[in-house]
Amino acid sequence: MPSLLVILPLLAVLLLNLPLNFLRRLAQPAALLFAVYQALFALQVLPAGCTGCPTHERWFVNVLDPLTSVLLLAIAIVMFAAVCVLRATASDEKHGFNALNLMLLAVAGMNGLVMVRDLFSLYIFLEIASVSSFLLIAAQRDMGGLEGAFKYLVMSALATMMMLASIGLLLAYSGSTKFMVVAEALHAHGSHGYLLTAIGLFLGGLLIKSGVVPFHGWLPDAYAAAPAAASTLLAGIVTKCTGVYTLIRLVQDVFGPAVATQQLLLIFGALSVVVGALAALGQSDLKRLLAYSSISQVGYILLGLGVCGSANKFAAQLGVAGAVFHLFNHAIFKTLLFVNAAAVEKQTGTRDMNRLGGLAQKMPITGLTSLLAMFATAGVPPLAGFWSKLLIIAALWLAGLHGYAVLGIAASLLTLAYFLSMQRRVFFGLLRPEFAHVREAGWALTVPSLLLAAILVGVGLALPWLIGSFLLPVKGF
Amino acid sequence: MTLNTILLLVVAVPVLGAVLLPLVGRFSSCTRNTLALLMVLASLAGSLLLLGPVMGGQVLQLDFPTGFGHMMLLADRLAVFMALVSSLVGAVIVFYSWGYISHYENQNEYYFLVVLFLGAMMGLVFAANLLVLYIFWEITAIASWRLIGFFRSPAIVLRADKSFMVTFFGATMMLLGFIMVREQAGSWDLPTIKLALAGHPLTNAAVVFIMLGLLSKSATLPLQTWLPDAGVAPSPVTALLHAAVLVKIGVYAYARLFLVNMPLEPVWQTVVPVIAAVSALVAAGAALLETDLKRLIAFSTISQIGFIFLGLSIGGELALAGGLLYILMHSMAKGGLFLCAGIVEQRMHCKDLTKLGGLIKTMPVTAIAFLVCAFSVMGIPPLGGFFSKYMVLAGAAKGPHLWIVLSFVGTAILTIIYLMRAFVLVFMGEPKTKLETEGSPVMVWSVALLALLSLAGGLLIFYPSLLATDSARQILGLIP
Repeated sequence: MPSLLVILPLLAVLLLNLPLNFLRRLAQPAALLFAVYQALFALQVLPAGCTGCPTHERWFVNVLDPLTSVLLLAIAIVMFAAVCVLRATASDEKHGFNALNLMLLAVAGMNGLVMVRDLFSLYIFLEIASVSSFLLIAAQRDMGGLEGAFKYLVMSALATMMMLASIGLLLAYSGSTKFMVVAEALHAHGSHGYLLTAIGLFLGGLLIKSGVVPFHGWLPDAYAAAPAAASTLLAGIVTKCTGVYTLIRLVQDVFGPAVATQQLLLIFGALSVVVGALAALGQSDLKRLLAYSSISQVGYILLGLGVCGSANKFAAQLGVAGAVFHLFNHAIFKTLLFVNAAAVEKQTGTRDMNRLGGLAQKMPITGLTSLLAMFATAGVPPLAGFWSKLLIIAALWLAGLHGYAVLGIAASLLTLAYFLSMQRRVFFGLLRPEFAHVREAGWALTVPSLLLAAILVGVGLALPWLIGSFLLPVKGF
Repeated sequence: MTLNTILLLVVAVPVLGAVLLPLVGRFSSCTRNTLALLMVLASLAGSLLLLGPVMGGQVLQLDFPTGFGHMMLLADRLAVFMALVSSLVGAVIVFYSWGYISHYENQNEYYFLVVLFLGAMMGLVFAANLLVLYIFWEITAIASWRLIGFFRSPAIVLRADKSFMVTFFGATMMLLGFIMVREQAGSWDLPTIKLALAGHPLTNAAVVFIMLGLLSKSATLPLQTWLPDAGVAPSPVTALLHAAVLVKIGVYAYARLFLVNMPLEPVWQTVVPVIAAVSALVAAGAALLETDLKRLIAFSTISQIGFIFLGLSIGGELALAGGLLYILMHSMAKGGLFLCAGIVEQRMHCKDLTKLGGLIKTMPVTAIAFLVCAFSVMGIPPLGGFFSKYMVLAGAAKGPHLWIVLSFVGTAILTIIYLMRAFVLVFMGEPKTKLETEGSPVMVWSVALLALLSLAGGLLIFYPSLLATDSARQILGLIP
């Protein structure tokens, strides 16, 4: 039952906070168990698409299309990794427990977010996820964390205001906040200036939420300052759900692929791809590098989505499929990189890449998996990231957007460049003497690393057989 | 075993087997080394088994229906020829590694990457689908990146990164070209593309993008600079990557894509030879001035690749057969040169021509092997390199551009000068430092074997030239 995915985490938060000590000890295993349950659930409904699931849930109507199932799967996987990271890195029991509660709330918010088909409910769940993450970032109450959380909060408040205003306008015009009704109203009177304002406001809010250039100022601070587990969850899935997923969903189901929307997505996407990658080249803090890399990868997703209005229907399908697939892949490889960053920070005490070096010798699993994640991000075959980038670039090209296609593919060179520099400074190269006694981080960090890397390799290798049937509506590519 | 199973195994044994090597290496390095060689030999044996049927005119196809078309492996004469060359030289190089690499750390990674690289090469050679080709193409790039950075000091890793960046740039451009092919022909499968494009030349934009990939991989002007820099790798790696296998990928893909499957506009029959001529001449000039032995040989590789591109691109059966034969002869001879340089470097801890001398006294076998391989590269009869160079130049002379041929003759003369200079400076004259003895027997045997193969390639020229000529005829559609 899909609504369980929202109810269970909320229930868990209530139960865990009863004044019973043995319940607290069960918190982490319970959270892991829930993640596994959600992953299995998502996998079960994924191939069937809409047909195999109940259509008349009480709150979530017509819920599980492939996009939703893919997101549910990604949320489950990232949550699993984040809980493991929390176990390995939490400074004390109290902090760990609080963070776990917030994570459960964030997951409940995200699960609701991807399942609703109503603008106002979407807004509510989006806020649940966002507010939990502000607290997660600031949980350690150090200067950096507070600053990061504050920036995120301010930018989010702005975004929220824009979205809420837009929902108000749409409600006033169409008399409902249900996707179907709003979409019909927009379809009938799409060019009305009043509605265009509403759409523009909503898209603007979502671009801020996604951390797209030039609205990205908050993102590196928030990612880098957050505690390890929080940044894993945040970078892996929270901003992707609250920003990018919502964008895809609304453009697909509500706003429709108007020419202006398409131009907007392409321009901001291209800007993010390039600026994010260039900024990443200049970083020396491992987590900031990953944050800028996130900005750049979100740009790719927008580029893929930007093809959705193309006259070439095949290209349009391909672009959206590529965007969704890249969203999933990004959740996997960025989570993996953040888990590895947590391992490096835990074992060496620093994230400054100029002070690290040669760690692959002492931390072979971390080194190897970071290598796989890097190749996946840069779009090197046969890993999963290659296929999603290929779909996006091919879609851009087939839709006649040749300039964007060249830009996208050239930017993957930049991606490789900053990751090679990261590898050179952290994992490859000669071991520094002060790290002679560094050892591999414990199982709580290596197990999720290996799991995520296995997904990247497995999906990458199996994709040629999955592409027609699984997750993507594309046939005969 | 059916032929299709053999075809699959030729690719699968080294690609999948490579993963086992680090695991085996944890228990016994000796077993791991043997196993690595056996895997490469299995590819060689498989290719030999395929040779008979393929020479009989059979074209083997292996289908895996997928969302991207029929992901196929395909074996025709060209593919089997190339697989034989790669696995033969690869096997000698793995054997040589037993001696060379035993002095260093990270051997598990080394054998894993070398065997994976050779397996990916097999996959690339037999690929009949653009995406399969691209996947294996990038696996070779990843493997060579790690192998070039094998010694891990910052300067070395930087150069490894450079070579990866340049080839990755080429590869991504090539991928864009592939997408354009997909748009024009409606498929990723080469046989389907061949049918769809019959009579319609590929658009020039797509050719430009794909050529960037080929030039970067084959280290041809203007994307050649990574190759000399990559000489910081262990010597067997330089032999494998920069002489025998990696740099041949570009020329092979040229033949596979443009000669077999996608017709080009006639203008490319002039453009590619001109690029090749400039590249060959410039690199030969650079080799003439170089004082680092391995960089010199690397420049020589760039220069010789020009000959191969000339043979493949100028048109005509003789030049094409010569170009293919050149791939074989150059792989053996240049592999031998790099391995000899490796022995000198490892024993003398020096690869500066001006600081070496008189080594023939203590390293006679290495010296003679070097000389024989150098003669083959120069094109001195009766060594194999003579026949291939002759066929390329004679075939090109039949074409309209005599001045291109003349420039290549000039390059050939420069080749003789710089290789003789290298030989004289290193092995002849008075010793300038304390001389060391020969390398380990395994290494000496390897270079001797490659020298003998170069010699045999010339004395028994009938067999390789039959294979090359038949491949050329099949490419041109003269025989099925």
